[in-house]
Amino acid sequence: MSLVNFTAREITCKIVYYGPGRSGKTTNLQYVYGRVPESRRGRMVSLATQTDRTLFFDFLPLELGSISGFATKFQLYTVPGQSYYNATRKLVLQGADGVVFVADSQARRFDDNLESLQNLQDNLLAQGVDIRQLPVVFQYNKQDLPRDLILTHEEMDDALNFRAVHSFAGDALHGTGVFETLRGISELVLKRLAAGAVAG
Amino acid sequence: MRALEPWVEAPLQTFLAESSARLTLLMTSSGQVVAQHGFSRSLDVMTAAALGAGIGASTEELARLMGSSRFEALVHHGARQSCLLAGFGTPRGRWIGLVVFGPETSVGIVQLFFDQMVQQLASAARRDEPAAVRLPENFEHELDASLKALFGR
Repeated sequence: MSLVNFTAREITCKIVYYGPGRSGKTTNLQYVYGRVPESRRGRMVSLATQTDRTLFFDFLPLELGSISGFATKFQLYTVPGQSYYNATRKLVLQGADGVVFVADSQARRFDDNLESLQNLQDNLLAQGVDIRQLPVVFQYNKQDLPRDLILTHEEMDDALNFRAVHSFAGDALHGTGVFETLRGISELVLKRLAAGAVAG
Repeated sequence: MRALEPWVEAPLQTFLAESSARLTLLMTSSGQVVAQHGFSRSLDVMTAAALGAGIGASTEELARLMGSSRFEALVHHGARQSCLLAGFGTPRGRWIGLVVFGPETSVGIVQLFFDQMVQQLASAARRDEPAAVRLPENFEHELDASLKALFGR
């Protein structure tokens, strides 16, 4: 859950990028890391295998800047997508304030997306969190691939986005949709924090 | 030294003075920083907390698999400095402590005063009830403008 430090006037939120293996979660963080000024970001930590698959998590701390005098910081995490890493996915998901579900738009990955989304719901439920109560956005990555290989934004929405939450077309490798997605989840998380925290 | 809530300061200050630790970080089990001493850059603190929480969580899972209730502490011995990582319960949930220390002290001393700090934190937290979180009423109003400025769109 978000931490609010009134003494230092700081807000810290945890965002987890979730989705099937090779959908582009790490690529999202790498793009953000490459485009955010050094003064606004920390080191990007990647706990990966020798073949660069995420083993535990990637982590990128960001300073968004000041909102109403509060220095707002985000901790971006990815989970390992491969199905056999579920134990570590559960650990990374603990205390998440929001989730970006990065889906692979390729038609042949349809079942992998569904399985990962179901896994997200199961892992949240195991922690007593109802996915309907948590800020979530979708990013349909790899929309730059040839049309005959992928599902469109609308088709991906029909397949995955049952709650009609915000969704974004992405090409994380070249940056399309990366910051739009981050802005989308940031807004949801901070509005939820404000709604729950502002004095009535 | 920086602490999220004032009641953490006195026990942590005592620990730092008695143990001669170089760096100390207290975090929640999900990797949120509660208090720290010795780090010069706030973004590095967050990274250390993420890694510490990851180690703590995976070690607890490992203990569960092996039929242990929990490992009390992990110590990594280095040539110039060493590191103690230990989880502990507080009235505010489970926290993890990460302590980096050099040859000017010892793991025994650090562990001794760490355990003392844990007890002091437990009693301090009971006296100090959590305050309700109150953000400024204009927070949500300013959010849209701030996000536009921050993301440039």
